[in-house]
Amino acid sequence: MMLARVADSLYWIGRYVERAEHVSRIADVMLTATLDRTETASQVARIGLCAVGEATDERIAAPFEAAKDLALDRLDGGSVISSIARARENARQVRDQITSETWERLNMLHLRLSGAQAAKAFGDGSTAFLHEVIADLHLFKGAADATMSHGEGWRFLLLGVHLERAQLIGRLLEVCFGRSGERLDHATLTAVLRMSCALEPYLRVYTADVRAASILEFLLLNAEFPRSIRFSTDQIEAHLSTLGRLGAAEQVGPDRLAGRLKARLQYADMSEIEREGSHTFLEAVLGECGAIHRGVYEAFVAYPLEMRLPA
Amino acid sequence: MATAQRSEEIDNVTEAPTAPYDEMYAADGSVRPHFAALARRLQALGPGELDERQRTLERFFLLQGITFTVYGAESSTERIIPTDLLPRIIPAHEWARVESGLVQRLQALNLFLADIYGDRSILKDGVVPRELVLGAPSYRREMQGLYVPHQAYANVCGSDLIRQESGEFAVLEDNLRVPSGVSYMLANREASKRTFPGTFRLAGVRQIDRYPDLLLSTLRSMAEWRPNPQVVVLTPGVYNSAYYEHAYLARLMGVPLVEGRDLVVHDNMVYMRTTTGLRRIDVIYRRVDDDFIDPLTFRRDSSLGVAGLFNAYRAGTVVICNAPGTGVADDKAVYAYVPEIIRYYLGEEPILPNIETFLCREPAELSHVLANLDKLVVKAVGASGGYGMLVGPHSTAAQREEFAQALKADPDNYIAQPTIQLSTAPCLIEGEVEARHVDLRPFILSGESIRVTPGALTRVALRKGSLVVNSSQGGGSKDTWILAEAGESQP
Repeated sequence: MMLARVADSLYWIGRYVERAEHVSRIADVMLTATLDRTETASQVARIGLCAVGEATDERIAAPFEAAKDLALDRLDGGSVISSIARARENARQVRDQITSETWERLNMLHLRLSGAQAAKAFGDGSTAFLHEVIADLHLFKGAADATMSHGEGWRFLLLGVHLERAQLIGRLLEVCFGRSGERLDHATLTAVLRMSCALEPYLRVYTADVRAASILEFLLLNAEFPRSIRFSTDQIEAHLSTLGRLGAAEQVGPDRLAGRLKARLQYADMSEIEREGSHTFLEAVLGECGAIHRGVYEAFVAYPLEMRLPA
Repeated sequence: MATAQRSEEIDNVTEAPTAPYDEMYAADGSVRPHFAALARRLQALGPGELDERQRTLERFFLLQGITFTVYGAESSTERIIPTDLLPRIIPAHEWARVESGLVQRLQALNLFLADIYGDRSILKDGVVPRELVLGAPSYRREMQGLYVPHQAYANVCGSDLIRQESGEFAVLEDNLRVPSGVSYMLANREASKRTFPGTFRLAGVRQIDRYPDLLLSTLRSMAEWRPNPQVVVLTPGVYNSAYYEHAYLARLMGVPLVEGRDLVVHDNMVYMRTTTGLRRIDVIYRRVDDDFIDPLTFRRDSSLGVAGLFNAYRAGTVVICNAPGTGVADDKAVYAYVPEIIRYYLGEEPILPNIETFLCREPAELSHVLANLDKLVVKAVGASGGYGMLVGPHSTAAQREEFAQALKADPDNYIAQPTIQLSTAPCLIEGEVEARHVDLRPFILSGESIRVTPGALTRVALRKGSLVVNSSQGGGSKDTWILAEAGESQP
């Protein structure tokens, strides 16, 4: 049992933290790619910017400024600094529900990003800066895992992380392998693996044979890689079914949706997906993620009061 | 730090001509025995080391998020409450007197509240003027005849004490509404344990870390008829300047921190919205002012409270702590009667004195005030924050004339006090140890019994010569060590 508002805040902390990590990684890969051949660089910049926001020609042509904006633009609601500020604002609202160790990680990161030195530090070494942000977010997740009780609040936090992750990876795959059918060169495909933090685990499964179809299969259907959509939907289903058991009997909405989505990915077949078009499949998955998000709200947060009044 | 609405009192008090009491040094320049160990430690430390420790302490506060937000036009920044690392030390025998005085005072004030919201015998007997109480804006007629368990109206009280030139503690004001600052008392202690571990151990400082569980048991004792009462902390929300404290207390008590929007009243029962439906609430430790707790009973434009809460309280299904309407007992004019109130209910002499206060409603006192306007501080009863105030020694003849007219026109609305002096304690100011003025806010809990935590928030006026201890105006705070035994603390 916890306050509905608190559950909502914890869920959003999870979402914002995951978003900040993803955007940091995309910005980092974009910057690294600009060191190589220019043609690939602009393609990577286009994919990266499309996956997390808008890709105008102007932004693609100036990847350093674009990456800096992704990291530090306060006016952009999707930037790393904005996501961290919102996660931290939510954490402040549920300060009594999270451990001091967890809070300190997030608070420290927020203070560093919003401090006067942040822009200079980014200019002095943008890759190092972004790596540190990602490492700090890992520390935050580690502290949450190691110090918070693995009860209801922690589950809402992780539900947010995995729902956000499934949607972010889904969006990235849609940009790369969706409708356009454009062929991506080896360097670009490698960059896509880096953007999803999947390069090393991918190589271990498929060796250095980097192909679009294999990447799609790995990021969609791999059961063990923590950033595949299948892995995330397994987690979403596990957390929601536990949360449903803790709650009242009528809360069957979101966990049923999550179970269906889990089964869809568990029993999917690559050749079938390719026949139908990966775009159709990804669209359906992203649509169901959106439905789960709404279902969580209706079941746990914004439920109608007359249903829950004591008899 | 958020201060209750009346805690701005000290602000406009001027420097008095006599020398203030020095907490650390006696008149002959020798170190007072209870400060001896700290003095030796300070001598051993270089000024650079003190500065270093001060920075470590500030970082600790920043990391913990012990901050208040300063909202600017475009962005908002967070600042820590200025905190001084040198503890203020109070020996055991002095504290014993303060403690018994505080218990006596709160006992009497609770009895006074029970009486004025009950039979009103103190008014009938003419000890306190009827219209002074019933006409006060903080008097809540909605509380008339309501049962309050243990007659504990002010479950949490934070009184402001000052040390007079003689060294004697006196009460400057009582805060019976929504007193704050206790989280800084606890955080300052955490910090000073890290800063002076050795000196702390040797000094034999009394523990304050039981405050949260004593608070919880006090709150629970207010709903004894329920086997396992559900307690919550009600906060105005994250934008309130004392939000950190609300979250801190909820976390340390292990109870939910709720906002008005989390609560629902149905059939005179109060519920909170949880992930598994509605859950009944028994005790609300509210950190929202009376005016805002229920738009149906008090201010209609309030969105911080819960519609129907007061009716549920009247029906006895929920307890609100502190009780609404306690403000009438810490009113500026009622303050002057507290010694009489103590004598009336307890038949005892007050242990802690008041600051001498002249009530202009009394003709004899009015003429004394009018004759001495250049020496006194005159305050309007209903005003706070330094408004409607005349500081005699710093006033012009024209201002005094203006106040004289106002006093004659509406004497009931004014009180006057002599210009008072605050004691000084050593503080670290830009690397140097210098004396600054301090006050003392201890916290008293009352439920089934009255308990004083052996510690306090010492507020510091960090500007040289200033007597303003409010954090909004250059005030800070420091840890307060109450020693366990009398006598010198040996290194």
